[in-house]
Amino acid sequence: MIPGNKDSRDGYIFCIPFLLIYILFMVYPLINGFIISFFKYNILSIKKFIGLANYRTLFSDSKFYSSLWHTTQFVLITTPSLLILGFLMALFVNSKSPFKVAGESIFFIPYVFSMTVVSTLWAWLMQKNYGLFNHLLSTVGLNPVGWLIDSKWAIWSVSFATLWWTAGFNMILMSAAIRQIPTEIYNSSSIDGASYWQTVFKITMPLIKKTLSLCLILQVIASFNVFGQVFVMTGGGPYGSTRVLIQYIYENGFSYFKMGYSAAMSYILFALIMICSLILNKIGGNEDD
Amino acid sequence: MIERKDFKYYVLRIIELIVLIIWLFPLIWMALTSLHVENDLISKSFHFLPAHPTLANYTKAFTSTYILQWLINSIIISTSTMILTLIIDAPIAYAFAKIKFKGKNVLFWLVMAGMMVPFQVLIIPLYLQFNSYHLINTSLSVILPRVALPIGVFILKQFFEGIPNALEESAFLDGATRYKTFSSVILPLSTAALTTVTILSFINSWNDFLWPLIALNDTDKYTITVGIANFQGTHGTEYALLLSGAVIASIPQFVFYLFFRKKIVEGIAMAGLKG
Repeated sequence: MIPGNKDSRDGYIFCIPFLLIYILFMVYPLINGFIISFFKYNILSIKKFIGLANYRTLFSDSKFYSSLWHTTQFVLITTPSLLILGFLMALFVNSKSPFKVAGESIFFIPYVFSMTVVSTLWAWLMQKNYGLFNHLLSTVGLNPVGWLIDSKWAIWSVSFATLWWTAGFNMILMSAAIRQIPTEIYNSSSIDGASYWQTVFKITMPLIKKTLSLCLILQVIASFNVFGQVFVMTGGGPYGSTRVLIQYIYENGFSYFKMGYSAAMSYILFALIMICSLILNKIGGNEDD
Repeated sequence: MIERKDFKYYVLRIIELIVLIIWLFPLIWMALTSLHVENDLISKSFHFLPAHPTLANYTKAFTSTYILQWLINSIIISTSTMILTLIIDAPIAYAFAKIKFKGKNVLFWLVMAGMMVPFQVLIIPLYLQFNSYHLINTSLSVILPRVALPIGVFILKQFFEGIPNALEESAFLDGATRYKTFSSVILPLSTAALTTVTILSFINSWNDFLWPLIALNDTDKYTITVGIANFQGTHGTEYALLLSGAVIASIPQFVFYLFFRKKIVEGIAMAGLKG
């Protein structure tokens, strides 16, 4: 096609800059981290190969289990609520409401702010003695709630802040998919006399199924990786009742300098995320047939 | 279809309006809090609006903390990340879209597999790696691991594939090389996709928390995202100061959002629909 075809050579040259960085800061650490997980490795001492000992310790570490459980709780709370809320928002911004344009901006805006700003703000809203929430409760005669310092509430409070922060992101993905549905389909269903919610369940949802399952997978991955908002809002407390897995990985690596142990734990998290996404992908894929 | 504006219509609109106001309210509350005198916030009487409005918290944030330095650090880090991302992502995306070469499919899947890897898995090995290069506690350690952005490659590749080959072929007949057509034919036609990737990369880098928290040790080297979290640790009970810090930290992002509102929303939708 090209005089003096140099495609092969050019192809590699165009790839080289990306591949160099990618291999150096992605592929290499990914492999290296896996190797480290078989070593006892305190950054100051020498590396010592200990086989599967890190993984064995892990499965008898009660803090590992409790952290994993808190992460799982967060996944179970936030995934369905964020998907449903995002979907309702997407329906709203595609409705005939006069507020739909304003709504799209207002629902999306929290996502523009960084996690630490959002966490700072919500920690203040939920502050036990002077926060807005407890002021509102006291005006209707209820007792103040320790939103972030009562272990019954803390994980729910952090989840709630997360809901406010990221629901708008799901809204954008779902709303883009809804906009691709041809309007003729809706017109014919309204001629058939279908109610609004019938149309939503029978037409909108099946037609954006691919996007819904993508949102589900992205959400599960994001929720499994939760760290920042918990770290800033509760610090993992009270008494470790909200310590999530990434925080425990972080503490082991950078407070106790147990690099090998910490790496082993991060690979367990990685495996869990992979398994969950594969299962979800399978479920989503099978429904397509 | 013309909707009849009955009672139900107005009830629904009022509910929608209330929900929207509630959703926006935390942000208004953030701004209001930052204008309070510190002691008014922790007094028994509750003030909705500041009783003695003041900008003193902002002055204090700028003069007695590193917040300005953090903002500068974040701008430098995010801008460099974004520029480097474009420099390395665009050529490989072009190769995947337009050039035939051996091993292309394998390479493509190797790059796409990167999207599956949670960054958190890399923190221990990356820390050790940068520590051995003596780059811990530098901006470079925050920038480099965030530069190769697989989703960026994907978006650009999809876009480049949509550009007709005929445009390049006529240039080849005139003796142009790949490098020439890439820079003078393909790139100028691709501003939409390039902007999307730029924005995604900038936002990613700006919001990054865990890795900068680990890679940067000195308070004055922090990014704003890490700095604000640190703020909470050191000024935990000075709520007006904390919230004015949060407002200051949000300004660049908010301006960025106002300018690129449409592009950001399109970018997320594009990444979602094609991924």
